[in-house]
Amino acid sequence: MFTILGVGPLTWITFLPIVSMIILLLIPSGRDEKSKMVSHILFRWLTVLTTFLQLLLALAIYFNFDFGLTGINQQSTMQFVERVRWIEIQNLPLLGNLKIDYFVGIDGLSAPMVLLTAIVCFAASFASFGIEKGVKGYFAMYLLLDTGMMGVFVALDFFLFYVFWEVMLLPMYFLIGIWGGPRKEYAAIKFFLYTLLGSVFMLLVMIALYFAVGTFNMFDMMDPSKYDPSSILAGADTFWRYVAFAALFIGFAIKVPSVPFHTWLPDAHVEAPTPISVILAGVLLKMGTYGMLRISWPMFPDAVRYFQDYIAFVGMVSIVYGALCALGQHKVGKRDFKKLIAYSSVSHMGYVVLGMAAMNPEGMIGAIFQMFNHGIITSMLFMIVGVIYDRAHTRGLDDFGGLANKMPVYTGIMAIAFFGAIGLPGLSSFISEFLVFVGAFKTYPVLTIISGSGIILGAGYMLWTLQKVFFGKLPERWAGPWDPTGKKYKHDDLMPVEYAALVPLAIIIIYLGIYPIPITDLMNTSINHLIDFVKTTGSFAAHL
Amino acid sequence: MIDEIFLSQLKQSVDLFLPETILVATFIIALIFDLIYKNSRYLIAVISIIGLVFSGIFLVNQSTSSAAIFSGMLSFDPFGNFFKILILLTTIIIVLMSVFSKELYEGGRKTGEYYILIVGMTFGMFLLAVANNLIIVYLAIETMSISSYILAGYTKEIKRASEASLKYVIFGAVSSGMMIYGISLIYGLTGSLTFDAINSAMISSDISGLTLLIAGLMIIAGIGYKISAVPFHFWTPDVYEGAPITITAYLSVASKAAGFAVLIRFLKVSFFDSTNYANDEIWTLIGTIDWQIVIAILSVLTMTLGNLVALWQTNMKRLLAYSSIAHAGYILMGVVVMTDIGVTSVLIYFFVYMIMNLGAFLVVMIIANKTGNEDIQKYNGIGHKAPFVSACMVIFLISLTGLPPTAGFIGKWAVFTAVLKSEYIWLAVVGVLNSVVSLYYYVKIFRNMYIRNFEDDSEIYEFSPGTYILLIILAVPTLIFGIYFTPLLDWAESSVKIFLGV
Amino acid sequence: MTINLEHYLILSVILFCFGIYGIITRKNAVMVLMGLELVLNSANINFVAFSRFGGLNIEGHVAAIFVIILAAAEAAVALAIILNIYQNYKHINVDEISNLKE
Repeated sequence: MFTILGVGPLTWITFLPIVSMIILLLIPSGRDEKSKMVSHILFRWLTVLTTFLQLLLALAIYFNFDFGLTGINQQSTMQFVERVRWIEIQNLPLLGNLKIDYFVGIDGLSAPMVLLTAIVCFAASFASFGIEKGVKGYFAMYLLLDTGMMGVFVALDFFLFYVFWEVMLLPMYFLIGIWGGPRKEYAAIKFFLYTLLGSVFMLLVMIALYFAVGTFNMFDMMDPSKYDPSSILAGADTFWRYVAFAALFIGFAIKVPSVPFHTWLPDAHVEAPTPISVILAGVLLKMGTYGMLRISWPMFPDAVRYFQDYIAFVGMVSIVYGALCALGQHKVGKRDFKKLIAYSSVSHMGYVVLGMAAMNPEGMIGAIFQMFNHGIITSMLFMIVGVIYDRAHTRGLDDFGGLANKMPVYTGIMAIAFFGAIGLPGLSSFISEFLVFVGAFKTYPVLTIISGSGIILGAGYMLWTLQKVFFGKLPERWAGPWDPTGKKYKHDDLMPVEYAALVPLAIIIIYLGIYPIPITDLMNTSINHLIDFVKTTGSFAAHL
Repeated sequence: MIDEIFLSQLKQSVDLFLPETILVATFIIALIFDLIYKNSRYLIAVISIIGLVFSGIFLVNQSTSSAAIFSGMLSFDPFGNFFKILILLTTIIIVLMSVFSKELYEGGRKTGEYYILIVGMTFGMFLLAVANNLIIVYLAIETMSISSYILAGYTKEIKRASEASLKYVIFGAVSSGMMIYGISLIYGLTGSLTFDAINSAMISSDISGLTLLIAGLMIIAGIGYKISAVPFHFWTPDVYEGAPITITAYLSVASKAAGFAVLIRFLKVSFFDSTNYANDEIWTLIGTIDWQIVIAILSVLTMTLGNLVALWQTNMKRLLAYSSIAHAGYILMGVVVMTDIGVTSVLIYFFVYMIMNLGAFLVVMIIANKTGNEDIQKYNGIGHKAPFVSACMVIFLISLTGLPPTAGFIGKWAVFTAVLKSEYIWLAVVGVLNSVVSLYYYVKIFRNMYIRNFEDDSEIYEFSPGTYILLIILAVPTLIFGIYFTPLLDWAESSVKIFLGV
Repeated sequence: MTINLEHYLILSVILFCFGIYGIITRKNAVMVLMGLELVLNSANINFVAFSRFGGLNIEGHVAAIFVIILAAAEAAVALAIILNIYQNYKHINVDEISNLKE
């Protein structure tokens, strides 16, 4: 493990945004026009710099990562571990010893997520350049959100995990609520209430687990020999273990979101400003599935096996229902471009759930690879919507047509994202979806065949959108340049900032489509171990 | 010979009673100074602060002693001491807050008696926290209530304040009347009024049945009135809305703390087997009446009604009144489990609740000083007009909701830990669902502050440095205790020991 | 007929009920206070009767004296508050003093 100034990389990558946030809050935003403009530029580039440093750190972590170590339930094989006593009280008369650690570390499961978070936050910071009001507050909240997300992916102490999980809610509420669209109040509070509802159940399960093992250390919670036999969560296949698993699952499924807990997502996506939609789709949704794999699966392997079929069913329903809703955007409602992508997210996250339920190496690796790919592709899609929304101030699918002639480069980049979302061979998501289906088919042939319709429907709504928005005839009202004064948009096609955000993502999609090894190898060892642990040699199995 | 023993006990009692004596002395000195310097604005406040601080110094010194004093009328123990320190801190903050209150000083109102009454009320609450005899309980409740009736209507020419005062005195008198009737029944049943004597009478003669239930319920009603537990909460919203903000804040923290102290002490010392209690976390109930169920029902009703009614409030004071009812419900969850861990969680929650609730009321007062009322609509765009104050308000509200990394989360965590430890899972589920509901109305406040009229940058409010300092004093601990709560936990754990009598 | 404990207890219950009835039904604030006095005195009767008939110690008598004192103090404050209400509203009808409602 390398250190910078004596502090490990994971601490840096998590808390760097907070440091920047404090610096940012100390910079006055100025009263007159000129100083306001200068300070805005400062805020923007400070954020870009922070997220860029974060990306560099993530890459440094990637290149120093030992692909052979398993992690998951073995404390010794976690990497970049940092552990400091946070709260330690010995021999309390009542609670005994209370130990909460600042304990971070990554394995093959969290490493791709850390990388994804760094990439998406960096790209989204460019997309944030369009924010005009309350710039200081916006970037402060953005950076706080960044810390919360990174923290969730690196935390190995359940208490710490929970703190990061909740820290993220408030900035997200403000980011949607203040800088969002017309129904922002509704969307923001809906997001807040839904996620809080999920997380309070997680809190109860966390406390129950604490009583069972006596610490908040996740590894202890995965080890049945550490369980106090008198605890309600001890043993295997007991009623309370199933209840605890179900409570956790609902908490995470709200975040994913799986049908029927998905209704907050379309609202939040439609109202959120572009960069926040990007982060929401790119990172936040992954926290749900990550939480399942990090916490539910290894801590409740018996309950996972019991609920496996239901989880797969939930995944299937999400795939089909999400795709149908996305397709429906062409026919009913406001025909909102963003809503379409939001529903496509529900559908694509359904693949992840299906792959996770399949519980074999193909399915599981496919699922995590799909999490990564979906993060990149959906981020791109939301940015693409943002680009035309900034110019035309509408997102209606019917308001556009023939943009290919007006914005050729844009259309080219967009095509990569669209075909990526469909899962065209040669692009990254083809591989992950293929793996998910191969894996799921082994365990659940019928469900997988039904889910396959999601692919067809996906191709349907994506191609339909492509045709409607980019080909055909350009409507009269867009005939002239976007910005006749030429101040904001010198020409009709993409601006340099937008290139900076979109092109790297496009390159990743193509590169991983041809050569997925860099990411799949990253998780291979850990995932195989996870499956072994849950399915066969899992120590809970011995109790059966 | 007997006289000598009595005298030495009396001397010990007087020594231990020093903090209270200082309060009484402060009360008298302040009264005299108020007569001499009639027109001074802050003199009495300063005298009160000095008296309170002195009292606090002696209080901290005796935090480990545990003894029954004045022939078992009062029992001084770490548990009572914790609540006394809590009440004292609240009083100091309230006095400081009052100095900045515009409403209180409006029209050149004389405020000498105001501070004097606060000191008197503190004395009453101190007694209540350590009372070990039902008559002392009654006396202490009346001492504190009579002061608070006057304080609630201190701005007497304002109609709503006088109305609040009337409602408070009528409801208060009725509930204390019920309580004294209950006390008289207990006296008839057990032949004694001292908690430990009641306990030994119950052990030896197996008293139970309907009369005990009625008597107990009547006493719980009297105390429940003080902690505004549903269904004894009717006065709370009206009084909280009508009273001056500082007094509302005071009632919502200090008098609740005193009420909880006496509730826990009464239940534990009177109704639980004291003979096999040896630093054990299990309390054994005597008799056939299951007080746990009674308190559990109170708790569920209190938090659910508080949260649901708070949803459609439009006045900030009223909203915070219902929120404080809801919090009383959460704290009652810690009482329900009736274990030492439960008591610890009550102590932790109370300390946290004191900081965040006073903070929220402070912000309401600061903003009311500027806008002249507490209508939630008036909060539109405050986020821009007063950025620092609003940021602090967000911290307090998040803490009241119970989200990390604020102290409120630690309080909730402690309570749910206690509840789950005793495997009251249904109660924990009700509790967490309630905190989700509560989020909605807390968010409503900062939604108005930040989301509505955000771009309105017509004016920026200026505040005095004193209010900023007070805000920081409350906001910083709200964050610090959310991240590092070891001292709080240590203090609470060492304070659960309740003195069980001689 | 000898008068024993039960008679006193029945008297006190009747007084208590009258008191509560008065508090609930009366509109005039002063009448409410009078109802309250009944409640307090019913408790006093209990205390003294238990002390006398139960062969208990002096505690009951002392308690009764305390209750009487506190009742006086409470009544004084309550009357002052009612006076203030009269100044603000020109009446002391409890039912009509209800500005504070949601």
